[in-house]
Amino acid sequence: MTEPQGTVQLPPQLSTIAPEVDDMYYLIYWISVVFFVVITGAMLYFMYKYRRRPGRKAKAPGHATALEIAWTVAPLFLLVYLFHMGFQTYIHGSVAPDDAVDVRVRAMQWNWEFEHPGGVIDEMNLFKVPVNKPVRVIMSSSDVLHSLFIPAFRVKRDAVPGMYTSLWFEATELTDDRECEVDADCPEAHQCGRNGTCALPLFCTEYCGAPQNIQDSAGRNTNHSTMMADVRVITQEAYQEFLELGPPPPPECEGSDDMMECWGEQLYAVNGCVGCHSVDGSAGPAPTWQGLWGAQRAFDGGGSAVADENYIRESILQPQANIVEGYTAVNMPPYRLSDRQIDAIIAYMQTLSE
Amino acid sequence: MTVEAGTAVPSGDAHEGGDNYLTHETGLKSWLFTLDHKRIGLMYLVSVLVMFFLGGVMALLVRTELLFNGETIMEADTYNKVFTLHGAIMVFLFIIPSVPAAMGNFFLPIMLGAKDVAFPRLNLASFWIYGFGTIFAIVAIVAGSVDTGWTFYTPYSARADSSVIWMTLAAFILGFSSILTGVNFIATVHKMRAPGIHWKRLPLFIWGIYATSVIQVLATPVLAITLLLLIMEKTLTIGIFDPALGGDPVLYQHFFWFYSHPAVYIMILPGMAVVNELIATFSQRKIFGYMFVAMSSVALALLGFLVWGHHMFTSGMSEYATMVFSALTFLVAIPSGVKVFNWVATLYEGSISFASPMLYGLSFIVLFTIGGLTGLFLGTLSTDIHLHDTYFVVAHFHYVMVGGTVFGFLGGLHYWWPKMTGKMYDEKLARVSWFLVFVGFNVTFFSQFIMGSQGMPRRYYDYLDQFQPLHMASSGGAYILGLGFIVMAYLFWKSLRSGEKAPPNPWASAGYEWMTTTPPHPHNFAETPVMKRGPYDYHLCTEEELWDGFPEDFEAKKAKA
Ligand code: HEC
Ligand SMILES: [Cu+2]
Ligand SMILES: [Cu+2]
Repeated sequence: MTEPQGTVQLPPQLSTIAPEVDDMYYLIYWISVVFFVVITGAMLYFMYKYRRRPGRKAKAPGHATALEIAWTVAPLFLLVYLFHMGFQTYIHGSVAPDDAVDVRVRAMQWNWEFEHPGGVIDEMNLFKVPVNKPVRVIMSSSDVLHSLFIPAFRVKRDAVPGMYTSLWFEATELTDDRECEVDADCPEAHQCGRNGTCALPLFCTEYCGAPQNIQDSAGRNTNHSTMMADVRVITQEAYQEFLELGPPPPPECEGSDDMMECWGEQLYAVNGCVGCHSVDGSAGPAPTWQGLWGAQRAFDGGGSAVADENYIRESILQPQANIVEGYTAVNMPPYRLSDRQIDAIIAYMQTLSE
Repeated sequence: MTVEAGTAVPSGDAHEGGDNYLTHETGLKSWLFTLDHKRIGLMYLVSVLVMFFLGGVMALLVRTELLFNGETIMEADTYNKVFTLHGAIMVFLFIIPSVPAAMGNFFLPIMLGAKDVAFPRLNLASFWIYGFGTIFAIVAIVAGSVDTGWTFYTPYSARADSSVIWMTLAAFILGFSSILTGVNFIATVHKMRAPGIHWKRLPLFIWGIYATSVIQVLATPVLAITLLLLIMEKTLTIGIFDPALGGDPVLYQHFFWFYSHPAVYIMILPGMAVVNELIATFSQRKIFGYMFVAMSSVALALLGFLVWGHHMFTSGMSEYATMVFSALTFLVAIPSGVKVFNWVATLYEGSISFASPMLYGLSFIVLFTIGGLTGLFLGTLSTDIHLHDTYFVVAHFHYVMVGGTVFGFLGGLHYWWPKMTGKMYDEKLARVSWFLVFVGFNVTFFSQFIMGSQGMPRRYYDYLDQFQPLHMASSGGAYILGLGFIVMAYLFWKSLRSGEKAPPNPWASAGYEWMTTTPPHPHNFAETPVMKRGPYDYHLCTEEELWDGFPEDFEAKKAKA
């Protein structure tokens, strides 16, 4: 399989709409070249022919109303045509086909969260996309303006706080997700993504600020120019499996003997549980996880339960259902994690109670 | 007795050692409280040049940071402040007042054969307001450490503190100065024309400045409304722009561009206005299609009010609005094209000199054509979606604003320098600096077109490895550009110190402003002139007024004398 090649001006066409946009681009490009050559050509020729030299006397221009009207009106036809063609593709790009997969995208300073059908939320800043299937992106922002831009797909739309915006595309090529160390290891127009594999870059193109320079401990982005995500186009089967099983374990855990425990520990860090829950018994805004597994829990306002699978699951998905006695000051936000992820967290908790 | 232009010999040498506006009065006070439009124009010129220098330093800092991937000389946070400063200074403090306030003030009354503008006191007031606004703006940006980009989009700009209010206030104070200047110019053009200057004899420079003034008067109040709404939102917590209060951030963009798109024409029309004079003078020919060129300025001024939405095609505005704005935007191409075609047609059968001001004039045609044609990619909806907020846009507007307005401004500076200062400059050095500026500019920004269409977003502190070579090229171009400006500063400095005395009409121009003495008489003309011909009627000029047919006008004139 050969990857579609980009040109000097444009990145490779990796969506169904890209060729349409590019045709328009090149049409305007060639029109521009013709105009430019004619205008500067005439200019250079006159500059040479009528250069000032002894004996040269300028002629006063007469009236040329017909010519004036001609070059006022003639471009109008061209412009109407350009407008029409551009608008057609734009409308095509605005109205998603009925069978599109809906993905909700939440933009926040300075990360992207992707929620796939069935409430499956993938790792931050990773956008899995099924090949040859229209995907409709419904965007919102929780703070300031952002804008989602995937150059290889030729799509862009602002994420505006307080309203939903959307765009759609259909990816036509699987992403070559070979391993990499720098962008140069990857095919054209790809970046070396977060897990050391190649991916298509998704940029934020609406300026959204920058407090610091670096990425924070959990590998999140911390400024406008790093507010990028990896777009990974996968087969429809792989996408279906992803929807059923939820996000897979991170590569550093995959294949190891204590895969679930390792994954649980990673989720503990990446999802920010670490901010409230300790794992070494030290006190904090929330109960420590040390010795939690299997313990008897007493609730605020009476009642109690044993910390088993169902209890942990409920505590994560609906934290407010039962509040542990003495921990009413801080509210834990609900987390939407997949079953496998909750299993991984439980596995990790179990290691803390041995 | 009155001087009758067209029959009388310019009275320059007669006034040898005589009174002029520079020597008429002396002392700092005679400048700060002057009512002479020429002195006010000169003070504007000095201020905008200082601002241009500051904005230029910021530009070089930005390009140096982008030379390499990752941190080069500053942190991301500082970078954001620096590019904000660059944009805000260049737009509000340099380009907008550059041609209209500096050259407009100096030459508009002279070109009308008037003694001064209609309201000299108002003119001084607007200069003072500009000075105050400039200081206010810089303090607001630095103290508020504004890092929003020159567009101040909400809610980002509204989040941290009230610095956006201060910035808008600064823009409004500056805008107020523009309104006063605009009103003044409109009144002057209507009421102060010397006998014989009817509308069809109005220099095209004046037509351009006139159209600009109309936009300034009509568009700037919108800025005041925006400011009022921002203040109301902040103090009364009424949700207008901030979604956290139930406001609409897209509404802010509508307000901002409703002012700022016309502001784009406030910036480009004066550049075009200067170029008309350059092309006519150095081809010794009336601008082809004079009335079409004049009317195209007016058309641009009016159309400019109807296309602001083209900055918002991806903003979440409705599809219908998007369609209408795209269609209207295409119309702008018509008057712009008319101008370019007519300029080229003016060269036809002219007698073309390549003196340094003309080099800028001719470069303007080339660069503005590129700027205009790349606008087609951005007006077309499907391609704009891909190109919006990338370096393609950055390159496009620099071709228009720098390749257009700034080249026009520099051309005007070289062209009118002898008249304003009474000194000639080193033509060889002027050509060297033009060459550096022209080449540097194109290297800087042409590479940005390619980066942009490849998907490099703007306002990025960092970038993917694939963009490294183009970023380096762009920064390299910026250094060449900077070098060109250093040479230019040197040649003007040298001219002031030891330049040869300028004759009244070194470029053999038929323009009205060259009929007065050099530097001009305090009242522009010793006696009210009566114009018997148009400012481009080269065929009606006497041999004494013009000396054509030689490659070096100035040399020839000297030889003759
Ligand atoms: C904002 C602080 C905060 C964060 C972040 C947080 N929690 Fe909590 N969590 C709490 C508080 C407070 C309680 C106790 C009150 C309650 O039961 O809701 C709690 C309770 C729990 C309990 C029940 C504990 C017990 O002692 O019975 C579990 C399980 C839990 N959290 C899991 C998680 C997981 C998993 C994450 C990360 C995905 C997480 N929490 C993130 C504050 C937090
Ligand atoms: Cu962003
Ligand atoms: Cu605009």
